[in-house]
Amino acid sequence: MMHCTMEDLGALQAGEASVWARRHITTCAACQAELEGLYQRIAQLKALPALRPPRDRWPAVKSALRAQRSRRRRTWGAWTGSLALAATIAAVLLMQPGTQSTAHAELTHVKQQSATLEDSLQRYDTDGRVLSGHAAAVVADLEDRISILDGTLVQREQSAQDAELLQLWQERVGLMRELMNARATRARYVGL
Amino acid sequence: MTVSLAVPDVLVARAQAGDEAALEALFRAFETPVYNLVRRMLRRPEDAEDVLQETFLEVVRNIKQYRGEGHLWGWIRRIASTKALMRIRRDQVRQTESLDEEPGKPGMHIGANLDLERAFERLSETSRAVVWLHDVEGYTHEEIAEQMGKSVSFSKSQLARAHARLRRMLDEGAHA
Repeated sequence: MMHCTMEDLGALQAGEASVWARRHITTCAACQAELEGLYQRIAQLKALPALRPPRDRWPAVKSALRAQRSRRRRTWGAWTGSLALAATIAAVLLMQPGTQSTAHAELTHVKQQSATLEDSLQRYDTDGRVLSGHAAAVVADLEDRISILDGTLVQREQSAQDAELLQLWQERVGLMRELMNARATRARYVGL
Repeated sequence: MTVSLAVPDVLVARAQAGDEAALEALFRAFETPVYNLVRRMLRRPEDAEDVLQETFLEVVRNIKQYRGEGHLWGWIRRIASTKALMRIRRDQVRQTESLDEEPGKPGMHIGANLDLERAFERLSETSRAVVWLHDVEGYTHEEIAEQMGKSVSFSKSQLARAHARLRRMLDEGAHA
């Protein structure tokens, strides 16, 4: 004797079952028991206790939010600002070639890359529009990750070693490049 | 878990004006439902914590766009589930359909609910997401398919396979 599959039972539960399944369930005790089991499992899932976050994440959200606000405030002048920064860095490197560690020099370089990418993004991001829901989700995801990283950088900038900061800044540059690619793709489509 | 969270309109308005205390109050009101939702969908607790953080970052950034149409929880839940699904897609390479026994945890064998919870935890992340969104959160297959970027039949077959596995695991547990 043919019985209901789990898909049939799911359809019965949703009121979308085939004529055959609706007829069969009225006469088959085994399938009635399976359907009852399905109802019970769903009821038990709904009754599971709420899982609570093990740590307070608000401080991290707040830091990221503040870093993001600060980033937005300063981006209006980022292009000219980063040119000045690049010139200053170059001058310092030329004047004091032996005084900086490799990690520190790399850190300075990566920060400069980050600033340059920030400037380039500003030129693509003139209207904030995106092509599709998927593109919007990708961009939002990248921006979130950058903001979270910025929050971490704000917290760690004063206390962390250059090597750790370098890793964080390199990660930021990687995310900025991904964001740049996402924005640049959109810009090509809409002709910006 | 049933959530019926009413948030005063004035609190939402203050949050939309950028009031940090109001934003924190929203975070406190929704942190557990959001964490519970994404933790049920994701296998690793640290991933769920990250998604909780990403969700609220997006909430505080976009709260001005919330027009009061529908429950605020519905709006936040949509952001959270989308982010959890994005993480599942991003990490698909490490995801496996293997249902290997995970190391036992103290107290996990007491009571029917915990048995079901343990069996549920052994499903793949995709299956967990579909089961939780459909059976507990009440999403339709059409909504799940849209959020996952898959077809409606994919969502339906994932749900059926997941329930078949749950049933099998619970049967094996009962006869062990």
